[in-house]
Amino acid sequence: MLELLAYDFMQRSLLAAALVGAVCSVIGVFVVLRGLAFAGAGTAHAAFAGVTLAYLLGLPPLSLAIVFGLATVWITGWVEEKGRMKLDVSIGILYTATMALAILFLGLMKTYNPEVYGYLFGSVLSVTTEELMTIGGLSVVVLGTILLLSKELYFIAFDQEMAAASGVPARQIFYLLLTLVALTVVIALKTVGAILVFAMILIPASTAYQLTHSLTQMTLYSMLIGIFCAVSGVLLSYAFDLPSGPSIVLLATSLFFLAVCCSPKRLHRIQPT
Amino acid sequence: MTHPIIRFDHATFGFPGIVALEDISLTIPESEFVGVIGPNGSGKTTLCRAVLGLMAPLSGTLRVLDCACEELRCHHRALIGYLPQKGMIDRNFPVTVLEAAMMGRYGALGLFRRPSRKDRDIARQALAQVGMDHHRDSALGALSGGQQQRVFIARALAQQPRILLLDEPTTGLDLTAQHSVVELIQQLHHELKLTILMITHDINMIRSRVDRLVLLKTKLFAEGPPQEVLKPEILSQVYGKELVITDKDFVLVEDYHHH
Repeated sequence: MLELLAYDFMQRSLLAAALVGAVCSVIGVFVVLRGLAFAGAGTAHAAFAGVTLAYLLGLPPLSLAIVFGLATVWITGWVEEKGRMKLDVSIGILYTATMALAILFLGLMKTYNPEVYGYLFGSVLSVTTEELMTIGGLSVVVLGTILLLSKELYFIAFDQEMAAASGVPARQIFYLLLTLVALTVVIALKTVGAILVFAMILIPASTAYQLTHSLTQMTLYSMLIGIFCAVSGVLLSYAFDLPSGPSIVLLATSLFFLAVCCSPKRLHRIQPT
Repeated sequence: MTHPIIRFDHATFGFPGIVALEDISLTIPESEFVGVIGPNGSGKTTLCRAVLGLMAPLSGTLRVLDCACEELRCHHRALIGYLPQKGMIDRNFPVTVLEAAMMGRYGALGLFRRPSRKDRDIARQALAQVGMDHHRDSALGALSGGQQQRVFIARALAQQPRILLLDEPTTGLDLTAQHSVVELIQQLHHELKLTILMITHDINMIRSRVDRLVLLKTKLFAEGPPQEVLKPEILSQVYGKELVITDKDFVLVEDYHHH
């Protein structure tokens, strides 16, 4: 197994997987706690629509993925804030509309382009050095922002109104969180693909949620689970010649069910005094 | 009279097309314990949101701690400790008692600053004041309703506030827990000399404890010492005919609809 690490492509993929695993699972904690799970799924599909349009226009694929992703999360946030419509309904509409756009753009392409499908299903083993640089740069931005503003992010996830009442710029932090979700989706698009990226955001955080009732521990566990699943998933996919995205996600899902079964939360309740 | 800490001057609050509170003029001096009562939809929660700075007056002014700004990061906000209604909190949120109390320090600390040992000590002291320090490593979700309220009061105290704003702190608790929470609030008022604004349905519980009652029904219907506000002719106008009054106690029929 160790000789694998001698290959450049393997080093790149493992590094990309570890970064994506870390970023997705840390942002996932806030997504799960703030109840934004479905919003992220919508964003992933919107980002894919951005990729297809970029291919059609001959632009760098991740540039339009960011634009589409950001537009979707911001609209989602705005709808939630205004409360004009139920969030699941508005996201459902955006989600299907952006998917329809993606299919439309694919249809407009004259030739079959396998690279585009790489963004749908993920192909971590074909990550290039430039892509790795982009992933690395964006990861530093996302994780750095979370580190700097973690107390505010935890607070708005717990109770946004209480946070606003005690002087935290809660609304701005909420939009910042949405922006970080969009950036995370873009980071992970190439590695796990638009369809599976959301699993990488939700599953490690939900698994960690089963294991602890402390916010800081949940974040730490989520990150470790995310990195472990991403790296092991890549190794498994190489060893058994499996597609990388599904290997990572299915490994994470197995861990999730294991955690649900062994959750110490259920076994450990304090008697009210 | 001591220094006024909250001052409404002909203030009206609401949303476009809806007036929730009209023409309120009210001055609350420092260290006063004020109970805010009124039927559902009378504007109690609007009053609370207004003091918190979550709603600006449509007309008139509201000054809290001599500050009328609508600036989110204004220092005065951190000086108001707030206990939201019980139903607003997710019971299963993965947070320990100490982590929840620490959130009281976040607004006061400001952006980018990490909590220090001193902040931790303040949060622990706040937990000790509500008798919950020995539960500091427990999951918030594993506590009883009354204990959770104590933790949220500790969170508010950790802000080192000058005003404590409590939105129906006893709703949804059993009778023993209701009494113990109200007693705790009264004790904090005595010990810390906090200005307390407590919104409640439970007139019977607070009538002997507060310095002043404020009775709302979209307007400021009455205010003054409890014995002046709790008069049958005033209450029946606000609560309608469904009011049962006994010599010793006031029992509002509305409460029966609730519980």
